Amino acid sequence: MPSFIRGYVRFVDAVNYRIGRMAMYVIFVMVAVLFYSSITKAFFDPALWTFEFAQFLMVAYFMLGGPYSIQLGGHVRMDLLYGSWQPKTQNRWDAVTSIILIGYLMMLLYGSVDSAIYAVEYKERSYSIWRPYMWPIKFIMVLGIALMLLQAIAQFFKDLAAAIGKPIEGAVPDNLSEKGI
Amino acid sequence: MSYELIAFLMFSTMMLMLMTGQRVFGAIGFVGAIAALWLWGDGGSVMPFSAAIKLMKWYPLLTLPMFIYMGYIMSESRIADDLYKMFHVWMGPVHGGLAIGTIGLMVIISAMNGLSVAGMAIGATIALPELLRRGYDKVMVTGVIQAGSSLGILVPPSVVLVLYGMIARQPVGQLWLAGAIPGLLMAGLFVLYIAIRCRMQPNLGPPLSKDERRTITWSDRIRLLRAGILPLVIFFSMTGLFVMGVTSLVESSAVGATTATLAALIKGRLNRRVMEATLRKTLEVTCMFMWIILAALCFGAVFYGLGAVKAIEGFFIGDLGLGPWEILIMMQLSYIIMGMFLDDTAMLVIVAPLYIPLVGVLGFDLIWYGVLYTITCQIAYMTPPFGYNLFLMRAMAPPEITLGDIYRSIIPFVLVMTLGLALVMAFPQLALWLPEWHYGK
Repeated sequence: MPSFIRGYVRFVDAVNYRIGRMAMYVIFVMVAVLFYSSITKAFFDPALWTFEFAQFLMVAYFMLGGPYSIQLGGHVRMDLLYGSWQPKTQNRWDAVTSIILIGYLMMLLYGSVDSAIYAVEYKERSYSIWRPYMWPIKFIMVLGIALMLLQAIAQFFKDLAAAIGKPIEGAVPDNLSEKGI
Repeated sequence: MSYELIAFLMFSTMMLMLMTGQRVFGAIGFVGAIAALWLWGDGGSVMPFSAAIKLMKWYPLLTLPMFIYMGYIMSESRIADDLYKMFHVWMGPVHGGLAIGTIGLMVIISAMNGLSVAGMAIGATIALPELLRRGYDKVMVTGVIQAGSSLGILVPPSVVLVLYGMIARQPVGQLWLAGAIPGLLMAGLFVLYIAIRCRMQPNLGPPLSKDERRTITWSDRIRLLRAGILPLVIFFSMTGLFVMGVTSLVESSAVGATTATLAALIKGRLNRRVMEATLRKTLEVTCMFMWIILAALCFGAVFYGLGAVKAIEGFFIGDLGLGPWEILIMMQLSYIIMGMFLDDTAMLVIVAPLYIPLVGVLGFDLIWYGVLYTITCQIAYMTPPFGYNLFLMRAMAPPEITLGDIYRSIIPFVLVMTLGLALVMAFPQLALWLPEWHYGK
């Protein structure tokens, strides 16, 4: 693999790793917001913004955390045939079928950019009592999908490199094993 | 090209794509997106993303990360250890008692969590090694843990019923209550099966030896009962407050997550390692589910747009000319068969919107159908070659348990579950009595 491809893979891996690690902690914010919501509902006037805000957090959580979850190998595959193949055969097939993953993400990205432009142009607001502007969350979605696409492409290069017998060495800092997990 | 042909093409392409072993969400999303583009051109090009907006608005799904988080906090911090010991001591003297106790443990974990992941993790790490060490038959105990943990989605709280509630527009509170009695019934049937089997073949599940029983004093037994307090607190703070109407659905799941964290903290089991493992696995599993649901929503929208609901109605009622009950049974059967080969969560999102209107047309109660649907899901999650429970079991089980053991282990339990399904079908009051009593319908 040419050095710029190696560089690309390492760069994307490192960026997505850091963003994913940050996204991981968003769950605490979600718990806090919803917990606050139940307290206000039980004892004071119910807060109006909490549910919608929690929805936004949830979207940010799984979209920005998505690339990291790919790095962790967290996505199920149907392994009726796949599971019985040699690792090299798996890499080969993955390199070929990456095209469907990349294709799907590109269409998703197209839709998200379209929707984000609309949100900015028409100053779109949500139909709720809180009426937040929609562009911030749509920007986050565009970013998340774009990062997912970059990761899918990096994954394609990794599979390709492994399939031709010259794997790209792990770019993600492997601090997981040293913590004994 | 006729719509039926397009629909058939979509399903078979999805199947083919899944077979290549690409990540499930990519395969399903791609087929949905391409079909949308091909059918509706430019208007269809934004459909994959419209699904993301729809997903965002399904706010009850916020319970999903909460339950996943809770499950991992409970299994990683091992706060359920005492609970296992409690069942161990109390049920040990009976033939197959430890296996029966494991079912009891699973029921309690199911009452604290809405997914089967937690039960599976706790069962595979705490109960399974212990059962194997005691000379229990490995095929049977593997089945016990898979079947027991599958109760997680039937006994309230339940994420599958949350998803169903969103699709069928039914109140989640009633659905959860409807799942309670069938869940306990199912657990009872499992226990009955284990007890009978172990009485006939005592070598499958030897009771604790006399020497060992003598070492356990009554004060030990009473002391261990205290382990039962924690689940009661968690159950009350979550499902209890929700059913009483104090907190809303997603709020109660957050309260449950907080309670579980506090419980681990008070027991002194919360450390960096537990937190890191919990957070990372929560992100991993949540992302997996959310991306699959995102892709499946797009696929499902295309399917819906093709008029698949009318087509299915026409097929069952018109072409086959079946009565309501036959259709109902056909639907459950087709779901189980499709669930063997396709991704189960995606199936839920794609197939439920097609079947539920038909169930309404036939005049069945949608709360009751929710319970049938969940039991069918339980079976689909366990049946090879494709099932989450199978995946999880393979990842977590000790090496001496082979894939063949896992596949074989579920056969008797799937039969027992089918019996449970039939019972709930034949006696709808099993599901409907509790919600009717509580909500005074």
